[in-house]
Amino acid sequence: MLGYVRLELTRTMRDGGYVIFGIVMPVVMYLVFTNLGLAPGDRHDAAIYTMVSMAAYGALGGAFNNGSGIAEDRAAGWLRQLRLTPLTPAQVVAGKVVTGVVGVVPSIAAVLLAGVLVNHVTLPPQRWLAVVVLLWAGTVPFSLLGLGNGYRLSGQSAAMANIATMLTLAILGGLWVPVENFPSWLRAIAEWTPSNSYAGLSWRIAFGDVPTLRQAVLLSAWLLVFGVYAVYGYRRAGRRA
Amino acid sequence: MTAKSSDAVSLTSATKRFGPVRAVDGLTLAIPRGQTVALLGPNGAGKSTTIALLLGLLPPDSGRAALFGLDPEQAVRQGLVGAMPQEGGLIPRVTVRELLAFVAGTYAAPLPLDRVLALARIGDLRDRRVDRLSGGQAQRVRFAMALCGDPDLIVLDEPTAALDVEARREFWDGMRGLASQGKTILFSTHYLDEADEHADRVVVLGHGQVIADGTSAEIKRAVALTTVSVTADGESAWLATLPGVRHMEIRGGRVHLRSGDPDATVMALARAGAVRGLEVVPAGLEDAFVALTTGKESV
Ligand SMILES: Nc1ncnc2c1ncn2[C@@H]1O[C@H](COP(=O)(O)OP(=O)(O)OP(=O)(O)O)[C@@H](O)[C@H]1O
Ligand SMILES: [Mg+2]
Repeated sequence: MLGYVRLELTRTMRDGGYVIFGIVMPVVMYLVFTNLGLAPGDRHDAAIYTMVSMAAYGALGGAFNNGSGIAEDRAAGWLRQLRLTPLTPAQVVAGKVVTGVVGVVPSIAAVLLAGVLVNHVTLPPQRWLAVVVLLWAGTVPFSLLGLGNGYRLSGQSAAMANIATMLTLAILGGLWVPVENFPSWLRAIAEWTPSNSYAGLSWRIAFGDVPTLRQAVLLSAWLLVFGVYAVYGYRRAGRRA
Repeated sequence: MTAKSSDAVSLTSATKRFGPVRAVDGLTLAIPRGQTVALLGPNGAGKSTTIALLLGLLPPDSGRAALFGLDPEQAVRQGLVGAMPQEGGLIPRVTVRELLAFVAGTYAAPLPLDRVLALARIGDLRDRRVDRLSGGQAQRVRFAMALCGDPDLIVLDEPTAALDVEARREFWDGMRGLASQGKTILFSTHYLDEADEHADRVVVLGHGQVIADGTSAEIKRAVALTTVSVTADGESAWLATLPGVRHMEIRGGRVHLRSGDPDATVMALARAGAVRGLEVVPAGLEDAFVALTTGKESV
């Protein structure tokens, strides 16, 4: 299975779409946003807030891109080829989930590095640690949603669905524009999204607050929902060989 | 036909329907270890579906598939099988070497990479990206994936379809080597000369059923397509009653007799002294195939 993860990561890193949308775009947007002063608070606070937003945005891009890959793999007959190797279906699925989880690391790292190196963000070490871990582990629900789409839909539509879902979640979750600037009805909706709870955990940590119970419960609930969806998609795809 | 558990491949009354189409229809087939078997049949005969059933890629609607006495999935998991589907299986953004190293790594006792590259004649392509290969090159890489694990059973669906003449010859050289190591080989093809030359046994499918099964010589003989012809001398109708003759035709002053027992036919002609311009043309597998699959003959 390690070999599978290595192969898939190699492919991901050579994927121009992933590099541009998952790494370059979030960094560029981060630098643009922070230097236009679009985020609330003073400059340093804005640099921290937007750093978390854009790292979350990039991670979402990576997680969903991984899911689209599954649909391409199926169209290319690669999933069938894998079934002709001694790898078990469970190993293949686990390998793809691990690929998704590892694949978001460069996205997160790139934005955090830009924060440190360009915008001179400083945080106490334990806050850095918590932010990195939460940004990273929090991508699992999105990886599962992306995989569910990848298994359930065919190549092109899976990619479209994943990009649309990713942008919707990013914008509605307040990753581009803080939900505080939303009209109140939209803000009410936004606060139920997994992306808002996901970034919210790290926003609060970064500013020295404790994440709310609501954020943790909400993200866990979405994890469950998307997990069930991914299993459903996988089962359906299996029946079509 | 009963399937012993030691058979490399065994399908028992396997049936697979796609809507109204019976792609595989009560098919029973047992392949002992070490045999090289060609699967013939016109487009849509059910070759690929049969292969998918025996590899465990598709579940049969009824009947049973087994490899080495095991569930196909188990046999695949144990690394006993290497297979090349009719199409697909290549992914973008990896090199040939990366791809094959990965596949080999999934097996407990794979072939060394250099050996695989040599067998599939792709040593010079090892650092090329898989998505930048020609059709024939890609086909050879797909073939290499089937060999990586050094499996006992090799299943190839139209392995030479995209290959040029030279590549096809090289391919069969490699296959002969594998067969001589005792590997069991099942391949489908539309090139009848390949089946004729390289298979110990030919299985002809039509409408999802086995319509002929035997050595290529047996099939040709059974279909009785050897043509014995002589120059016509006056009244010739009696020739149709000679031993072995199944069909007679007079064309351009020559009598063409299709015989199921050409030896007996020729002897009878000799006894009757009607041997002027005698010619015996053995049937090709191709003739037998056409006769079989158009339903004019049965074995
Ligand atoms: N996934 C599918 N859905 C519906 N029908 C199918 C499917 N796969 C195969 N069939 C049908 O089943 C029959 C057998 O197809 P199969 O692919 O096994 O033929 P084949 O002998 O391999 O033909 P070819 O020489 O063209 O490769 C055909 O009538 C085909 O249309
Ligand atoms: Mg076929």
